[in-house]
Amino acid sequence: MTTQQQYYQDEVVKRLVQFSVAWAVVAMAAGVYVAAELLWPTIDFGQPWLSFGRLRPLHTNGIIFGFGVSALMATAFYSVQRTSHVPLFAPRLAWFVCYAWQLLVLLGGLSLLIGWNTTKEYAELEWPFDIAIAVLWVSFAIIFFGTIARRRIRPIYISNWFYGALIIVIAMLHIVNSLALPVSLTKSYSLYAGAQDAIVQWWYGHNAVGFLLTGGFLGMLYYFLPKHAGRPIWSYKLSVISFWAFTYSYIWAGPHHLHYNAIPEWVQSLGVVMSLILLAPSWATLINGVMTVSTAWEKLKTDPALKFIVLSLAFYGLATFEGPMMSIRSVNVVSHFTDWTIGHVHSGALGWNAMITYGTFYYLMPRLVGTELYSTRLANVHFWLALAGTMLYIISMWAAGVSQGLLWLSLDDTGELAFGFRDIMASMAPYYGLRLVAGLIFLGGTLLMAYNFYMTTRSRTTVRVEPPIVDPAYGVVT
Amino acid sequence: MDRTISRYLFFRTLYEPKVTFEVLAESDPSAWKVFSGYSVWLLLLPPVFSWIGAYNFGWRLGAAEPLMLATSTLTLISIAYFLTLLFGFYSTAVISRWMAATYGASSSFGRHAALITIVGQPLAIASVAHLFPNVFFNVLVMIPTMLWSMYLLYSGIPIALETPPERGMLMASSLVGWLLVAAVSLLGLTMGLWTAGLGPALGV
Repeated sequence: MTTQQQYYQDEVVKRLVQFSVAWAVVAMAAGVYVAAELLWPTIDFGQPWLSFGRLRPLHTNGIIFGFGVSALMATAFYSVQRTSHVPLFAPRLAWFVCYAWQLLVLLGGLSLLIGWNTTKEYAELEWPFDIAIAVLWVSFAIIFFGTIARRRIRPIYISNWFYGALIIVIAMLHIVNSLALPVSLTKSYSLYAGAQDAIVQWWYGHNAVGFLLTGGFLGMLYYFLPKHAGRPIWSYKLSVISFWAFTYSYIWAGPHHLHYNAIPEWVQSLGVVMSLILLAPSWATLINGVMTVSTAWEKLKTDPALKFIVLSLAFYGLATFEGPMMSIRSVNVVSHFTDWTIGHVHSGALGWNAMITYGTFYYLMPRLVGTELYSTRLANVHFWLALAGTMLYIISMWAAGVSQGLLWLSLDDTGELAFGFRDIMASMAPYYGLRLVAGLIFLGGTLLMAYNFYMTTRSRTTVRVEPPIVDPAYGVVT
Repeated sequence: MDRTISRYLFFRTLYEPKVTFEVLAESDPSAWKVFSGYSVWLLLLPPVFSWIGAYNFGWRLGAAEPLMLATSTLTLISIAYFLTLLFGFYSTAVISRWMAATYGASSSFGRHAALITIVGQPLAIASVAHLFPNVFFNVLVMIPTMLWSMYLLYSGIPIALETPPERGMLMASSLVGWLLVAAVSLLGLTMGLWTAGLGPALGV
């Protein structure tokens, strides 16, 4: 009897990484442009599609759905095959998801530019796109869980638990939050109204941050960090405990986005308490990551990718501490509606999400095509640009945010607000200038990486890798 | 404190940091002597400059009117600032020594205290910018200074604490993580104090 030779489906992984890098460049460029618009408002040239209101959702959707989700799909497909010791389930469906997702992001982005918008933050795309997202997400689930179901190794590795939670929870959040009554092809009305709408929206919004930008990327960390380091994870038990604690506590924290709003106070308080509890599982992962990498220091000599992962852990620690702190009401009353929030989001998005993704991509791309990275020097330059850009961004937004919070809560001798909104915003221009420089530096680094990958993979084919023989002690009995 | 070290610590760190780190690597100074002879004076600079600047000119946050605070409030804030810096210095030195075991670095507490002092020295000196209490001006001065301090941290750990550069890089990154968290805690604490009524009059 002959058995057909099986190989991992890595071509689709490579394509998804390429799309992810392309979206990073496009969406970060959009971010730089809107940052410049805050400094020079007239550079929209009177064109509605170039206005801040339309470009800003393009920036956020491009980063989250284009750059982020493509990276998560690529790394989930890569790691689930290797941790299950089987090729991807339904490879044609994987190719369909790969291209259809890019088409969705492209058309969705264009729809935002022409002004279709549900006005729900991070869920701006109108109902036809929402249906397409749901269909593609379920397809993603079929591929991922189908691969796990066919696995030849008994344990389900921790990264797959995080990717699995990402897939299940995002499906739930997206479908519930997007329930709406369409009145035309381009317009729909949410099924929820008033305070309920706000609660559902921030249950979605916060957990999109939680399960996509945190949980999904933790899946990436738990697979690629030990691979990079050539060591097992420091404490597997701690990773499992932190997974369940993370999954349980994150889902309740959304109401902290709605402090001092028309929702019940006990709901706000519950959001604060769960946000503070969340610190424990977040930092359990941080400790696990730091201790894993601390034993693999020799690798730093030759591997620029590991530096990105090390630094991403520092910013992960910052962002997951800052978030719960900002949920405390006496801090939130000053920080909310200021640029501090924007700084916080970017300490996570640039420092954690982008850095861990860059580190992972620098690991993946040369291996996918079986060669060395085109230029380690360029990767090192990219590292310092990414660090400088992120630090400059955060510091300028901290200073701007604290100044704003102080100024628009200041009272004069008669008890009236001392400063007008317009004056305060006008005085923020210098900080916005610094932020623009920070964005340009970070984008410059991303462009260097794109060039490095182009030169690395140019005219090379994807290496074919066979699943290894499974140790019978760990194998699934079939 | 060892006389050679003290000679190096004070000024030479500013233009020849690597030599200072090498000298530090060959000594085992007393933590108390480093603190009392050197660190505490640097830690006093930012609150003193900030008191003088805010008392005379008021903080300018970008809006037309500077923010003038009552002398008693200003003194209280400056004392809190000093105590926070003191706590930051001590806790960072303790954490640095705690991390040393993981990264194979020297466990001499005096050396950790001296290293943290050298790293923080540019920031303490640059706090002279507080004499001109304009927030944006201070941000402009502090950002390059902070980059210089980060450079001192990354380059100083492997030499002064005698660990391979790669392990030193990991330890420095871990300390940067701690310092970022400390910085943001300071912001949060300040907001909490403002909301509680210590500081500017806010409509909360």
